[in-house]
Amino acid sequence: MITAEHISKSFGDVQAVKDVSLVAEDGKITALLGANGAGKTTSMRMIYALITPETGVVTVDGINSTDNPVAARARMGVLPDARGLYLRLTALENMAYFGRLQGMSEADIKSRSEELVSRLGMEKFANRQTDGFSQGQRVKVAIARALLHDPQNILLDEPTNGLDVMSTRAIREFLREEKARGKCILFSSHVMQEVSAVCDEITVIDAGAVKAKGTEAELLRLSGQDNLEDAFVSLVTTSTLSGANP
Amino acid sequence: MISKAFKTVFKKEVMENIRDKRTMMSSVILGSFLGPVMALGLIYMSVQMGKDKAEKQLELPVVNMQFAQNLEKHLISQDVKIINLEKSPEAAIKDKDHDVVLAIDKGFAASMSQAQPAKVMLYYDASAKGAANVSVRRVKALINAYSSQIGAMRLQLRGVSPGLMQVISIEEHDQATAQSKGAQLLMFLPYFLIMGLFMGSMYLAIDTTAGEKERKSLEPLFLNPVSRVQVLAGKLAATISFGLLTLVLTLIAFKLTLPFYPTKSLGMTLSLNLADVGLMLLVLLPLALLAGSIQTIIAAFSKSFKEAQTYVNLVIFIPLIPSMLLMFMPVKEKLWMIATPILSQNILINQLIRGETVEWFNVLVCICGTLFVGGLLAWFAVRLYNKENMLFAD
Repeated sequence: MITAEHISKSFGDVQAVKDVSLVAEDGKITALLGANGAGKTTSMRMIYALITPETGVVTVDGINSTDNPVAARARMGVLPDARGLYLRLTALENMAYFGRLQGMSEADIKSRSEELVSRLGMEKFANRQTDGFSQGQRVKVAIARALLHDPQNILLDEPTNGLDVMSTRAIREFLREEKARGKCILFSSHVMQEVSAVCDEITVIDAGAVKAKGTEAELLRLSGQDNLEDAFVSLVTTSTLSGANP
Repeated sequence: MISKAFKTVFKKEVMENIRDKRTMMSSVILGSFLGPVMALGLIYMSVQMGKDKAEKQLELPVVNMQFAQNLEKHLISQDVKIINLEKSPEAAIKDKDHDVVLAIDKGFAASMSQAQPAKVMLYYDASAKGAANVSVRRVKALINAYSSQIGAMRLQLRGVSPGLMQVISIEEHDQATAQSKGAQLLMFLPYFLIMGLFMGSMYLAIDTTAGEKERKSLEPLFLNPVSRVQVLAGKLAATISFGLLTLVLTLIAFKLTLPFYPTKSLGMTLSLNLADVGLMLLVLLPLALLAGSIQTIIAAFSKSFKEAQTYVNLVIFIPLIPSMLLMFMPVKEKLWMIATPILSQNILINQLIRGETVEWFNVLVCICGTLFVGGLLAWFAVRLYNKENMLFAD
């Protein structure tokens, strides 16, 4: 379980994130929904303890990630906005490298790699150097690499960005399976259908601040719209709502 | 101290770099052979050019030779080939047709017969490169010899001993050994050895920092539950090990090219046995820490691979500074010089080349001094990525 309470971050004069709070529970898929530049990536970076929030607290399974970032990171598997793979290493070597840095044994790395290769459908390219991989192949390797240590908390920054239908479906299916295993999944997205298709809880963020929270049905009711896209537009353009539902 | 994360990062960086064959070729192999081969080529060329000018028959264009027939005979007797000049002497020098032109004054013969100083004009370009000066020196020496020969005869004819003219006679005792003469040419050899070291670690320093940032793999890497210091330490260790590899190869290449140095034709000896080369390795080893750390720091501050490449390439010229200083001002070494990295390696390697005994105390000071500065830089380098704004390229 991940909780963020009143986290803020500014870069120079620009306040990227203002007082954001959210909770991602185990066995649920929580979405951080926002337009480009809304502060999603910065919020995610604070939550996965890459950068330190100026105010507020992030806890991962009860561990304060500012005080103990290493322990917090061990509880998380993160697909960050940056998916950079090592081009001269094969897909399996990319995964094994991170597995070792996670402190896994060689036997665990091997068995878990086999499992993820088959679940994500990576058999054809698992032993190839990643130079020249398609976007979909790259994201699959990046996800497998991030989740090799089978973390309780899974964080993904725009996981299906730029992927084709088949890859998107494979990843959605994978996330539903993980949810069924009781994992806590938090992902950021700007794609309404995506969020609508897989998420249980939605936090709408705009200009660095939370505008609304709830299930899809709750957001529709709150905004008086009949689809998530219209609801989103209505929520981020009607400033009064941010006060009504902090 | 040596953690699993450190070893994992080190192994991965080394393996990844070895797989990149083109880089291996250009940085490690080329880096290690370029220095010794360039040094050899430069020395060979300068020796050969100087020798040609000094030994070849001197061709001397003379204007108005007919005014000084005795001088002509003297020059011919000294194996000088006198040639006619079509142009003006000024133009001949300016157009680089000749290194030096001699012109005889119209009143030469008259002055000569009246025992007045007879005038000749020498045209040359003092700023011309090395070998041209050899010709100028030879012409001056020939004319001076002729002048004192005639002077002595004049005194003798008047019943005066020519010895009266010479108040002090200088007897030269040049203490330069054959080996130290050779060493003058090899003054810049330490630079070529140090250059290889810098070239070997350059690529990895950039690739593991600015390169990783540019390829966007730095963020996922730092999401693993290990400290950034350990990750950077592993990267730095891999960088340094390639510097060391290149250094060892450079010294092997140097030892192999040693027999080809034109020592005999200069009458000098350049004998470096394996122990000397081993000592060179010993004083150069700590420099790998310093080179890798400086390069990593500079690359880490750069936003892109290309930017890093530009700056890190410039760093290769830093070790040139002490080499140049020592070439122009041969100073007696002081303790602070031995303690200064790069300068100390230059001094000690030069001592070895000159065949002087190198004191173990100096070797120790050199190693400690370099390790100290290198250690400080390394300490700084592995902590760079603890700053958040260093993490992202944008």
